[in-house]
Amino acid sequence: MSNNRVSRRQFLGYTLTGVGGFMAAGMLMPMVRFAVDPILQKKGDGDFVQTAQKISELSNEPTRVDFSYEQVDGWYTSEVTNSAWVYKDGDNVIALSPVCKHLGCTVNWGGDTAHPDQFFCPCHLGRYEKNGKNVAGTPPLGPLDQYEISEKDGFLLIGKPTENTLI
Amino acid sequence: MLNKIYDWVDERLDITPIWRDIADHEVPEHVNPAHHFSAFVYCFGGLTFFITVIQILSGMFLTMYYVPDIENAWKSVYYLQNEVAFGEIVRGMHHWGASLVIVMMFLHTLRVFFTGSYKKPRELNWLVGVGIFGVMLGLGFTGYLLPWDMKALFATKVGIEIAASVPFVGELIKTLLAGDATILGAQTLTRFFAIHVFFLPAVLFVLLALHFIMIRRQGISGPL
Amino acid sequence: MHRGKGMKFVGDSRVKATGRMPNKPKDYSEYPGRTEAFWPDFLLKEWMVGAVFLIGYLLLTVAHPSPLEGQADPTNTAYIPLPDWYFLQMYQLLKYTYASGPYNIIGAIIIPGLAFGALALAPFLDTTKERSPFKRPLPTAFMLLALASMIYLTWESVVNHDWEAAEAQGQIQEEVNVEIDETAEGYLLLTGEQGKSCIACHGADLAGGAAAPPLVGNELTADEVAEIMVNGRGAMPAGQWAGTDEELQVVAEFIASLKEE
Repeated sequence: MSNNRVSRRQFLGYTLTGVGGFMAAGMLMPMVRFAVDPILQKKGDGDFVQTAQKISELSNEPTRVDFSYEQVDGWYTSEVTNSAWVYKDGDNVIALSPVCKHLGCTVNWGGDTAHPDQFFCPCHLGRYEKNGKNVAGTPPLGPLDQYEISEKDGFLLIGKPTENTLI
Repeated sequence: MLNKIYDWVDERLDITPIWRDIADHEVPEHVNPAHHFSAFVYCFGGLTFFITVIQILSGMFLTMYYVPDIENAWKSVYYLQNEVAFGEIVRGMHHWGASLVIVMMFLHTLRVFFTGSYKKPRELNWLVGVGIFGVMLGLGFTGYLLPWDMKALFATKVGIEIAASVPFVGELIKTLLAGDATILGAQTLTRFFAIHVFFLPAVLFVLLALHFIMIRRQGISGPL
Repeated sequence: MHRGKGMKFVGDSRVKATGRMPNKPKDYSEYPGRTEAFWPDFLLKEWMVGAVFLIGYLLLTVAHPSPLEGQADPTNTAYIPLPDWYFLQMYQLLKYTYASGPYNIIGAIIIPGLAFGALALAPFLDTTKERSPFKRPLPTAFMLLALASMIYLTWESVVNHDWEAAEAQGQIQEEVNVEIDETAEGYLLLTGEQGKSCIACHGADLAGGAAAPPLVGNELTADEVAEIMVNGRGAMPAGQWAGTDEELQVVAEFIASLKEE
């Protein structure tokens, strides 16, 4: 015989905890799942967005390409305009995201007269090389994101941003 | 482990008297359904409180998606009900709970009435209870508008017209409720939202606290 | 309060260092009958009732999704409003002659006010010591009378309400994509002189309006359409078609063909 016999009071305590836990779980489980839905919602694969940029007109100098698409945000659908810095590297077309990896400002090609061959972020003077690599000693901690790209009838299509694969 | 934590806190704050005051009170035989099945009528008050807790929780979660704005209110409700996981259940809990809480509260009122429990010395608690009844009806009325669907809009129109038929101050009450003398629209929705989510719940908390404190003070009414 | 010389406190606080209350439940054996402790004995029973109730409640929410009608449209003048069920009694009360029109104040304010006021003042109106409902016939009778009239009014309002029309009028209107062949004989007849009163309500684009549902995307057969055109339906009066019976048949077939692919 074990000496640790469960007393009546302990037994009541355990059942009380159990039943209370069941009620709390029954009430809260749907609500918590409801609240955390945004992290569990699957994002559809980003479709490619048509731009007005002809691929044949691209040069090896980055040019800014604006593209807009329909963004569905819960119950609110809106037209969002984004841009990309696009250039040709040999036969490859490279599209870089203009969002600075430091604090999310927008970078410009040749925005700093002292460094005409670099991307420049005016907020905290961050700089990136042409392939998006962040210049050491400036605030950004990583290279610029790269867009997936595609082509249709000679026009450039831009997909979703991914990690920079050039470096 | 838990006992050690309890002792540590108790040594500093002396919480045992508070805790024992909540836990220690006697439940007499005549209200205990385990001894007399007919005593189940004494459950309705507790169930009313239980649904009220569910209403508060589900309401808090619903406001994560809901927008009190005539352009988006309906869309956000449609979205949370059809696109968000368990949205149908959380909204369902709030929707059905609103009806159930009225049913339970009504049954509780009848129990108190027919057992004569409102008599001296419990007159004040009865008054507070009637106040809770009114607040609950107000919550039901204001909450009905929030999804901003057809029946919400037109039922509220009728309700506001009833308020407007109060002599002398009717038009004032109407304007105060609707936010505009003639339009039932954007300003009505935000007002109803504020009343439903902040003002009435605040009143409800105070009244519930009074209700419970008085019950503990006086104990449950004796057998008939 | 045990306060006095020689008391020890925790630090400089007012919390006693010795002789604190033990965390032990009270003994109820001295109490009359089978009185038991609220915590944990009775609470456990309450919570078990609560758990069963919660299961039923969750099943209800799963079985009956909460209704959502179409987005509010203040320009819709044909909508028959209906309050939440617990206000139905009052809604019904306001339909009676002596509770509406010039007497509106009686139905809207005085009767509910009296009922609610009497309820609130019950302890001050019924001041006898008797608690059993059988020993105080007047309060019991008044309450039963009030209950009966509330149930009666709610019942009357439920049976007098056109639930089918109510369901139809609030439905969420899907955007229907139906190509209308504007050269079809049926379309020409419908938009012509014979169909003037059709177009007046259902609109030249057949998409419906404030007073009538859309014709596009209907779920009717040609015969049903013809029947409705002759006899009317719901708010639509009979005999709206001004053309011949042959033309009516053509139009009915045309309208029945306006379905989504």
